[in-house]
Formats: sequence, structure tokens, C-alpha cells
Amino acid sequence: MPTSPSAPSVLDLSFQMGEALLENGAEISRVQETMERVAQAYHIEDFQVYVLTNAIFVTGVVDGIPQTTKLQHIPSTATHLGRICAVNQLSREIVQGLHPVDQALARLQEIRVLPYSPLPLAVLCCAVGSASFSYLFGGSWLDAAVAFFCGIALELYMSFASRRKMTKFLTNLSASALVTLCGGALFLLGLGDNMDKIIIGSIIRLVPGVALTTSIRDFFHGDYLSGAIRMLDAFLVGGCIAVGVGFVVKLLSVLTGGALL
Amino acid sequence: MPITLQALLTGLLQTGVAFAATIAFAVIFHSPRRELLFTGLTGAAGWAVYLLAMGLGSGAVSASFLATLALAWLSRVFSFARKAPVTVFLICGIFPLVPGAGIYYTGYNFFMGLDGQALDKGLETIKIAVAIALGIGIVLSLPQGLFSFQRAKKGR
Repeated sequence: MPTSPSAPSVLDLSFQMGEALLENGAEISRVQETMERVAQAYHIEDFQVYVLTNAIFVTGVVDGIPQTTKLQHIPSTATHLGRICAVNQLSREIVQGLHPVDQALARLQEIRVLPYSPLPLAVLCCAVGSASFSYLFGGSWLDAAVAFFCGIALELYMSFASRRKMTKFLTNLSASALVTLCGGALFLLGLGDNMDKIIIGSIIRLVPGVALTTSIRDFFHGDYLSGAIRMLDAFLVGGCIAVGVGFVVKLLSVLTGGALL
Repeated sequence: MPITLQALLTGLLQTGVAFAATIAFAVIFHSPRRELLFTGLTGAAGWAVYLLAMGLGSGAVSASFLATLALAWLSRVFSFARKAPVTVFLICGIFPLVPGAGIYYTGYNFFMGLDGQALDKGLETIKIAVAIALGIGIVLSLPQGLFSFQRAKKGR
């Protein structure tokens, strides 16, 4: 079968760009549009793509030969906005005709391994975020200071959980329990003014804001199936957090003979 | 309605804190460094509108809705001006508005045996989530022309 060397890699490029977007948390319509744009730029005929939150199906005719690819990948991945941005930029350049296929593929490989924020920075940011939110939701400066330490513990635990490949369900349940334990214990030691504000500030890191936002975008774009999957995800995670928090608060309250509240 | 200097200062301080918090979350989600400032502005604007709406006597649900409208609008403006996906600004900017407090009080009341209050808070959490959903959905469905006009004017 005579194939020009670039034949499979054109479809592969489009496919891999979609994969990179999807695994880093982009919404369905973006994945689909980017893949279509790339296919058009490289003149893939009869290009059809169907994207779900955890799968991409593509068919196309390259140089007169029909080709099919599909993917099923693990849904639980971290959001990496930098990679989404970079793929977006690359697709823009491809449409302008700036890259031959090999060069675009090489650039994509670089994008797919763009580093995550280093752990110390992530810990600092989580701590600052927790403290800020604790203050925003009505906590005092002391509450914010306590939330700062809860944030440090939380991000360290999150990093540990993702290295151990813990399931999302267990991660959220245990992380919210940990934060509550941390905030509650410090509060019982006499640090902080309002236990609720400390804990609320710290759990914002866990609240499914990304899932909720992306789900809404999928819904309003007509991708109901993917939207429903992500909405369910958001609700389950929210429920896990509520259970983790509530359980530990109850536990502390029983242990201390109702000292809290 | 009387606006005291202190209320104004507190509002400004809170907006500043929301700015910092949004940037902190942008780093956690590995935003590109050159978009951080704009992400922070988006989050701060959302919180400022939320505070304003609350100050004018609206409830948490409608305040969340109005704030989401503002921040989704700003996300689209920045998205166009910076040639970056809307997601980058929207996802991080939304964090001050997500109903973390609602989730906390729902879980708290539920486990403390206060079923009535747990239901109340659970329902409020869902209402806020729906308000945010509507806000994002409405702004993102608007035609692109509304967001590109500033640029067209500047270009001339």
C-alpha cells in the first residue's frame, strides 16, 4: 500500500492535539474545533470527529486512504491551563500555515511535557489562597493565619495523593477530613476566632469549580453527555467534601463533649 | 443610601484580597505566567460586583449571578485581547464565587443532626451553582462581535 510518509502523521497530529487539550481539562467544543481546524489546515478530507470527556473518535481520508483512530483515556487528570493555552496558540499558527507537520508534532511534544508548578510554589499558593478566602468569607485575620497553615497541609497532602494515584473520591473525602481536622484542632487549641471560616477558606481548593464551569460550557454548547458527566462529577466531589467535613466536625464534637459550636 | 468611608475601604481591601486569591489559584492550575495579572483582575472584578450587589441588599444567589455575568464578560474581553482561551480567565476567576461555604454548612448541619438547616443550605448551594451556570451560559452564548469592538476601535 503506497503511503506518503506524512499520511498517518497528519491525522495523528490532529488527534494528539485533541488528546493534549482533553487530558488537561479543556471543554469539549474546544477540543473538537481545534481538531477540525488542524484537519482543515492540512487538507484532511471527510474529517469526522466525536469527543467525549474520556474518549476521542476520529476518521478522515488522507491522500485518498481512509484512516480511523480512537482513544480511551483515563478521565482523572489535573487541569493544566498553560498547556491548553499553548495548544491553542499552536493551532492558531497551524491555521496560518506556519508549521510543516513534523515541526508541529515536535512543538506539540514540547507542550505536552510543560512542567507543573513546583511543589513549594503550589504549597505557598494554596496557603495564600486558603488564607485569602477565609478572610473573604468573613473570617478575622487570625482565622486567615490559621487557614494559611491548613492550606500548607492540604496542598502537601494533595500532592502525596496524586503521586499515590488515589481515586478522586477518596482524595476529596480524605483531604476535606484532613483540613477539617487541622482547622478544628488548631481552633480547639485556642487559635482562630471562627472554626467555620477557617475550614471554608481551606476547602475552596477542593471545591469542584473547574468541573462545574467546564460542565456548564459543555451544556450550553449542546454537548449534553459530556456536560452531564462533568456535572455529576462536580456533585459527587461536592458531596464528598460535605461528608468529609461533617464527619470530622461531628467526631471532634463528640470527642470534646460538644465543645464546638 | 449612606456609604461610609470605612465600608468603601473594606470593599477595596476585599477586592485586593480576591485579586491575590485568584492569582494563587491560577498558579495551582498552572496558568501561563503572562496571563496571571488578567486572571487576577477577572477574579477581583467578580468579587467587587458580588460585594456591591450584597451591599445593595440582594441575596447571595442573585449576587452570585450578577458577579458571574461580570466576570464571564471580562473573561471574554481578555480572551479576545490576549488571544488566550476563555477557560484560563474563567476557571480561576470563578473560585471566589463557588459555594464553598454552602458545602461546608450543608455537611456540618447534616452531621450535627440539624436536618432542616442541612436541607436549606444544600438547596442554597445548588441555587448558587445554578446561578453561576446561568451567568456563564448567558455571557458565553452572546455573539463574538460584542467583545471584539474595543479592539477594532483601538486598531484604527
